[in-house]
Amino acid sequence: MPTSKPDATILLQAAMKYLEEELLPTLNGYYRFQTRVTINVLNTVRRELELRGAHAAEEAARLKAILGHDGPLDSLNDELCARIRSGAIAASDANLRDHVRRSLGAALAINNPKWTSR
Amino acid sequence: MSQDEIFAQRLQAAIARHLGPPGALHNLQRLTGGATKTTWSFDADAGAKRLELIVQMSNAGATTVPDPLAGVTPHLNSEEDAQIAMAAERGGVPAPHVYAVFDDADRIGRGYVTGRVAGETLGPRIVRDDKFAGARAVMARQCGEILATIHKIDPREAPFLIRQDAAAEVAAYYRYADHYGLKLPAVELGLKWAAEHAPRNPRMTVLHGDFRTGNLIVGEDGIRCVLDWEISQIGDPMQDLGWLCVKTWRFGGKPPVGGFGSRDDLFAAYERASGIPVDPKQVMFWEAFGDVKWALMCLRKGMAFSDGTEPISVEQSAIGRRIEEPLWDFLNLIEGRE
Repeated sequence: MPTSKPDATILLQAAMKYLEEELLPTLNGYYRFQTRVTINVLNTVRRELELRGAHAAEEAARLKAILGHDGPLDSLNDELCARIRSGAIAASDANLRDHVRRSLGAALAINNPKWTSR
Repeated sequence: MSQDEIFAQRLQAAIARHLGPPGALHNLQRLTGGATKTTWSFDADAGAKRLELIVQMSNAGATTVPDPLAGVTPHLNSEEDAQIAMAAERGGVPAPHVYAVFDDADRIGRGYVTGRVAGETLGPRIVRDDKFAGARAVMARQCGEILATIHKIDPREAPFLIRQDAAAEVAAYYRYADHYGLKLPAVELGLKWAAEHAPRNPRMTVLHGDFRTGNLIVGEDGIRCVLDWEISQIGDPMQDLGWLCVKTWRFGGKPPVGGFGSRDDLFAAYERASGIPVDPKQVMFWEAFGDVKWALMCLRKGMAFSDGTEPISVEQSAIGRRIEEPLWDFLNLIEGRE
């Protein structure tokens, strides 16, 4: 795909700046709350654009180490889930726990970075 | 006439019909516009009195696609919701007083009218604001006493409540995950842990089902009213105690019970008032499984549009992205890192 300018992250930054600095101060009650949520959602999209690539590569590497083989990320996750459900990997398995903790931490860095430091 | 004006007109007629003429409305304000219900605050002249009221309208039928997960977990319709609140009030629970339940003759849709209780419901304010410091000091004890009263409600007063023990609930939430084709190892881990730790043969009582900060009206004196009875069910009473401790419902407050109190105060008050002994490990199971359940509820809210069951909404979509928050808390809780 040809790269159009400005980047998607710049478009998002511009939209968020307008919503937060110009629109939000004029709103109250229900509309203020909904606009606040909208700004948060756009922030999540911005962080996802920045972080998703690196997170996916790390996740795939960890899954490969646990399962003992490579593959597309989706099918690796399918297989790990099936092994947890069947009991082939115990819920108490230390490597599984470590992988899940890292995956949750990575997702929270996109969806709500403040959650892990409470 | 706008939709809101038509609603106001029919509401006035319904108030006059149920509570006495003229039914004139004052200060009608929409409080929340949820996907499944809309809540309005208003005052009304009925007979010689001016009443301070709330009306909750069910939005069922906003889309035409039937809910594919209907009945998997409890969800009361508005008539049942009103009935359980009335049974609770009769039993001595500070529940909203039901003034009217709409019927077909009202031509307004499904909904009901309750009294409006003054106070705060927003979690962050209840757990942080200085003005509620006195309330926070007594609320864990009040929660124990109120839960004991709820658990004494005779199930025959609410024959529509479904009955689920821990194992049945774990099975229900597996169905959530499978319905959405979710392949998230954290959720699989959570459900597996819950299946392995589910309490066997628990006592079964009426439960509130969503008893937590955010569903309590709080004044400077403490808890004034218990709201949101729509996921009430018959189940293990320890479930209500554990759900109240789920970290999401602490809204940033440090104390484990609802962000305001200690487990010791909650358990002691509950035991005194109910005569039912509290096993802290069993409560902890319900807190940890509560994290997993909330994660799957977030998924369900986030996916309701993709499912076709609800119109698209930024608020619901954003809740979908909260799925990892309780799973993170779950892992910390079962690993003793809390």
